[in-house]
Parts: sequence; C-alpha cells; structure tokens
Amino acid sequence: MNGSSSSSGDWHDRYYHVDQILDRPGPRTDPSFLAGDEVKDFLRNKCKILVIGAGGLGCEILANLALSGFKDIHVIDMDTIDISNLNRQFLFRQKDVGQPKAIVAAEFIMNRVPGVKVTPYYGKIQDKDDDYYLQFNLVICGLDSVEARRWINATLVNLVDPENPESLKPLIDGGTEGFKGQARVILPTVSSCYECSLDMLNKPTAFPICTIANTPRLPEHCIEWASVLEWPKVHGDKKLDTDDPEHIGWLYSMALARAKEFKIEGVTWSLTQGVVKNIIPAIASTNAIIAASCCNEAFKIATSSAAYLNNYFMLIGTDAVYSYTFEHERRAECPVCGGESLDITISKEWTVDRLIEMLVEKQDIQIKKPSLASGAKHIYFQAPPQLEEATRPNLEKKVSDLIPDGGEITVTASSLPFSLSLRINYS
Amino acid sequence: MLKTESIDIEQATTHIQAQPDNKTRRYDRQLRLWAASGQAALESARLLVISASATSTSILKNLVLPGIGHFTILDPKKVTPADAGNNFFLNGHSSIGKFRAEEAVSLLRELNDSVDGIADLRNLDDILAKEDGREWIQSFSLVIAHNLDQDILDTLSQLLWENPTSPSLIVHNGALPKTYAEKQAFKANIRNLSQKLDEENFEEAEAQAFRLWSESPVPSDISATLNLPRLDQSSSTSSTAFHALLQTLRAFINSPESSGCLPLTSTLPDMKTDTESYVKLQIMYKEQAKGDNALFKTILKKEFPDLSIDEAMVDAFVKNAHHIKVLRGRRWGTWDKDPASLGPANITEEALRTEVQSLVGQGVELPEQLDDAIGEIARAPTADLPNSAAFLGGMVAQEAIKMITKQYVPVNGYCVIDLVETWTGIVGQP
Repeated sequence: MNGSSSSSGDWHDRYYHVDQILDRPGPRTDPSFLAGDEVKDFLRNKCKILVIGAGGLGCEILANLALSGFKDIHVIDMDTIDISNLNRQFLFRQKDVGQPKAIVAAEFIMNRVPGVKVTPYYGKIQDKDDDYYLQFNLVICGLDSVEARRWINATLVNLVDPENPESLKPLIDGGTEGFKGQARVILPTVSSCYECSLDMLNKPTAFPICTIANTPRLPEHCIEWASVLEWPKVHGDKKLDTDDPEHIGWLYSMALARAKEFKIEGVTWSLTQGVVKNIIPAIASTNAIIAASCCNEAFKIATSSAAYLNNYFMLIGTDAVYSYTFEHERRAECPVCGGESLDITISKEWTVDRLIEMLVEKQDIQIKKPSLASGAKHIYFQAPPQLEEATRPNLEKKVSDLIPDGGEITVTASSLPFSLSLRINYS
Repeated sequence: MLKTESIDIEQATTHIQAQPDNKTRRYDRQLRLWAASGQAALESARLLVISASATSTSILKNLVLPGIGHFTILDPKKVTPADAGNNFFLNGHSSIGKFRAEEAVSLLRELNDSVDGIADLRNLDDILAKEDGREWIQSFSLVIAHNLDQDILDTLSQLLWENPTSPSLIVHNGALPKTYAEKQAFKANIRNLSQKLDEENFEEAEAQAFRLWSESPVPSDISATLNLPRLDQSSSTSSTAFHALLQTLRAFINSPESSGCLPLTSTLPDMKTDTESYVKLQIMYKEQAKGDNALFKTILKKEFPDLSIDEAMVDAFVKNAHHIKVLRGRRWGTWDKDPASLGPANITEEALRTEVQSLVGQGVELPEQLDDAIGEIARAPTADLPNSAAFLGGMVAQEAIKMITKQYVPVNGYCVIDLVETWTGIVGQP
C-alpha cells in the first residue's frame, strides 16, 4: 500500500464522479435525500455493509462498493480459491490457489483502494447469529447456492421487529449463469422475498433411473450410471469426492467404457466433471453486469440519491440484449414472509411418507428434510434421533387417519429458519 | 454378462485418465459456453481500446480474464485525482500524475499471464492524420472507444466503416402431413403403434408430431437471408466466400436430391426410446448429414469452380445452416443524423431539450419521461460512476465476445440503459 495522504485515504477530487450524484437531487430523487455533506458522511463514515460470497459476483461487488465510497465492508465466504475461479474472480492470482477467498479478497481491496476497511470471515453464514446481522445497514448476496440464499432471506425476514425500523435490512441478491443473470431488491416483510419466488427456479435435470440403468442414449446417461450406480457398487461406503481428480478420472473411464458398449459418443472428462458437480458456466462480463446492478442499488438505497429497483431485473445476453424489469409480487402463503396457510388437496389414501415426498418435490415448497406437526402433536420429526425413531411408524399411516379434512399441519425444516402451515383437504 | 462387466471395469481402471491441463482448468467455466473454437477466436483477437477511463478498464478486465490475444490502450493522458478515485485499474493516489495507459496496462496484465498488452501514448488525432496510422488502426480485429469527442469519433467510424467486415454466421428442420385430417391420421398412427396404454415414448411422439408440420422446410428468416443482396462496398475475400456459400445453399434447396430442405444437422435430439433404436436413428441421421454435405460440396464446385474456400469453413457452414444469421451494422451516427455538439459547458436541461427537439422534429410532442432522463444527465454531466462503468464494462465485453466468437447474436442498434429504474432497451434497429 502506498503512503496515502490521510487516515481516511481521501484526496481532493477522489470522489469527483460520485459526488456529482451526491451534491444535488435528480428529477426522480426522493425528497428525503440529504444532498451534500450529510449523505457523504453517512456513506463514507457510518454505513456498514455485508457482502455474502467472495466468488464471481463477490469480487466484483467488493471492488464496486469500495470505489463507490463504502468504507466499512464485511465479507463472508466458506470457500478456498480453485484454479477454475481465475477466469473471472479477478482479485485472485495463481499463487492464491488454495487460500480462503474472503481473506484474499479483503486484502486485495484494502491494498488497491486506500482507506477502505474490509473485514473478512472465512466460514459459513449459519455460524453467525442475529446480533451479527443486526449490525449492518445493508446485505448484498453473490451466491451460487439456493440453500444459502433461503437461509439468509429467512434470517433477515425473522429479524424484522415492527417496533424498530432499523431492524429491517434491505437484501440485494444477484445470480448469473453464462450470459444470463438477475438482480433483485428485497425489503424483508415489505416486498416479495426470495422464498416467494422459489417457483421461478429452473428444475434441475433428473434422468429417470430406468434410462440410466437400461436404455442410455446420451453421454450424460453413461456418466450418471457411473456415478449413481457403479460407484457405490464398486466402492461401497467410500464417498465420491467430486473435487478429487482421481475420482472423476474413474467415473470418466467407466462412463467411457459404457458409452463404447452402447455406441454413444461424447463422453469427455469435462462433461463428466460438469454432470457430477452440476457445474454452471460463468464468465466475468455477466458477473460484472449483475454485480454492478446490485451495487448500484446498494448505493441508491444507502444514499437515497435516486429511486431504486422495484424489484426484479433479469438480463439475457445471448441474443442481443434482452432485459425485463418487473415487480415480483409477495405470496400470501409464503412460509417465510406470508403467514397464511397453503391449501393443498390430497387423496385420502396418501401416507405421511407420500406427503413428505410431495413437499420435497413441489416447485414452490422444495423443503429437503421436512418435519411435520399438528398443533402439539408430532407427526414426523427428522431430528433428534429419538424423536425420529418415535415418530417413524407414522410414515406408513394415512394422513387422513391423523388429520381431519380442513385440518392444519405445520412444516418445519432443520436447515431453514421458517415454518409453513398446510391446510389439508381430501379429494 | 457378469464376467464381461468385470473385465470392463478392470480395463477401464488400469487406464485412469489424468485431469485436463492447467489452461483447460482455468478456462473451464467459459469453455462450457463457447468451446475450444470460441476460445481460439478470442486468443487470436487483437483489441484496440481508446482511452484508459474507468469504463474502458472495466471492459478490458472482462476480456483479459477470458484470455483475449492482445490489447492496446491508446491514451496520452496522465492520471488525475478524479481518475485515481473511480478506476480500479490504477494504484489509487500513487498513480496520480503517471500515464493512465501505462498504469492500467500493468494492472490489467496481472489478471492473465497469457495476454499481451501494450500502452500507446500517442494522440488519436495524430494517428488518424497519417496513412500508416490509419493502417495501424485497421490492423486490429476490434476497436472500442469510450467518450470520444464527436468529430474524432466521426473520423474514426468512417475509417472503420470503409474497411468492410465480413458478415457473422451463427448456428436450426421436411413434404409431410399438410391438412388437419392428415395430421390427425398421422397422430392416430402413432397411437396405434403403441402396444399397450401409457407408453411414454408414444405419448412423447404424439406430442412432438407437430414438429413435422409446424415448420416449413426452410424457416422464413433463413429464406430471407438466402435472398440477401451483396453489399456494394463489400469486396473482402471472406465476404465473397460467404456469398458463394449462400448461393450454393439456395441451389442445394432447389436441387431435386435435397427435397427442398436445409442440410441435416448430425445431432439428434434425445427422445424416450431404447438404446438400439436411438443409436440406429443416430447413424441414419449421420449418414444423411454426410450425404447432404457431399451434395453441397458438389454444387459449390459446379457453381464456383475457381473459388477456393477453406474446407473447415464449408463444413461449419453446412453443419450450422439452420442457424445462419446475417447482421448488418450501420455506420455510427446514421441514426442521429445531426451530430450533437455537446460539450460539458452547455449541458443544461434547456440545451438538452432543444437538442432532442431538433433530432425528433419541431412538431413532435416530447413525453414526460424525457424530462426525467434529461434531468439525470444534467445532474451529473461528466460523471463516470463506478457502478455504471462496471455495468457498461460487462455489457460491452459481452458484445465483444459475441462478435469475436461468432457464437451469439450481438446487439444491432443502440442499447440504452437506465440505472435509476434499472432497465435496458434497444433503439434504432435497422
């Protein structure tokens, strides 16, 4: 780091560009905007922002926030740097491979943009409690995991105390895949939340087991055969490590042999790795667009200098530039921010086990390990083990023997801080 | 059966495949999009970027990371305190007073060892004034300019427009049931083939049957392309080859042996069936594709006996005949015929409104939203905001990648962005 002028690192005209926006209102600026020194002081000396994820979007987000004038930035990431990150995660170099992303990224930003403090945390978002999240004014997410997004979304919604306006933390969420991406602004309990839009997620491609076992036609079928059927058969309890090149190599050889047997072409190392790791293509330019959009919203919200996105922006860059900005509506029966019961109609013959299967698969629910209760009565609990064992016999019972028509079931999940009320109707 | 299986496993595992080399691993996430061919195109591209502004370095960052071959930044200016505050590819305060291009090139090169980058401190005016300078500019595969003055932008765009570029070609299906009765009969046939109820492959076949008649043998956008006249100025060899290929494709469709269809692509979509029939169908598909390719080449030879075209290009053209697209650009400034002479001094709301009125015509009533846009421009007339620069940096880099790899469709027209309400739009499409 260079011996820069003052402790804050500021020099005359440092914010020449940004200040043009902060010194006067525009035609669409909210009347509450305090143009001039007051807003600059808040942004540069008081505002505390949390960035979740220091990967493709995270690197871009950190750089943009630092240049925009945010000076107290925190970043959380549980990953270490891999060589395949280097085509887009521009705060990392070859020598950093294996190091924690949050720490390397924080150091890089502090060296490049003097006077900005970046506090890294190398670990999981679930390690932190409500008090931790309460200290921030804003949260930006650049994540590749649906589970992590659901967790932080539910956590921030639960944090809202109607008596304390400061407890409402705006959440800005970005996501990309190839040339496509989206950015959105979530005001917990006020606007549509991440859980409200769960049905917008693409369904992951799942190949039927009979195709994999008996009638493979695509190279992907051969790879699935190798990883789903052959690996456990040959290796027993040894877990498949998709980051271990030897394991991928084994799968590749097996898939290749099967492909040859069935005269199927196209099994490659790269495809094998892509299928078993569910790799999503990612490029710097798309991350730049989406991260810039997220940071632009953060800047507008933090300063009130201009209206902010209401509330969803999606972009497709494959065929010219197509984008769509719209207001995603709240869902009254959202298990996180809605509170109203979700009506479902099932057959009188359905067992509890069948109902659970539906909860796992239904596009707008997708609860991986649901526990079910009716009032104080346990129907089925995934944990602790004693309770699981005690409630297990209920799995085979018919739901209609346990719950009357129009009765309610409360669904909770150990991995997510929310509960969903189901009103059961029988067809 | 069990025995053969165990032998297979043994053979397979004695030859454990090593993982791909470092370069493939580094570029893995993008190779899944544009493959080795797109990567090779990027690596042979030479880029000229005029100015080392925050927006320019944001664009470059997104092209150096995926491994563009070479870039030159042309910029004679020195770093100002304002530059040092909004540009991530300058070393903060310590870069002030040094050459912008040199500071930016060294920090951009750090991003990727395999990329070659040069800082050029000459003035664009001087380069454009000399013949060897104009040739030098034309030696680049792509030129990106940020915030150039109108007159020099005009000179530059005229030079590049007169140096014609070849059309981009990118990568889609036969006398089938025509009337409603025939279609229903065809569907009923499929149903009758089904030996027992609920056979999902027959359901799928019935559901997909529309594909046989819903598309004409040659999609309309491709027919339109086939009848496209050549551009007068276009005299480059790649343009000659492309138009020869287009004419051959037209002759192919009209030839009695092709039954009026485009050449078949050799990739068969997945369908619910057993392996044996699928592989059989796939072989038939490949045979037909091979035959179509040979027929195409015979016609090409007959129609253009003196023309030599690279075999790989012909193969790529035939394989992707379903996805051909011709994009014709227009010279910069064609849309806004009267170039605006907007210097920072006269950017007032009134001056901007007058300017817009003169562009659209005096009698035209201006919408209310226009005042919002004008108000924002007048509020920050010279601001290169970090987030706007990063947003544009991503967009322009995406377009550059699309132009260079020729695998995606670039914008044709002007893309406008509003980062207050956060939306994009395309205007002035030809």
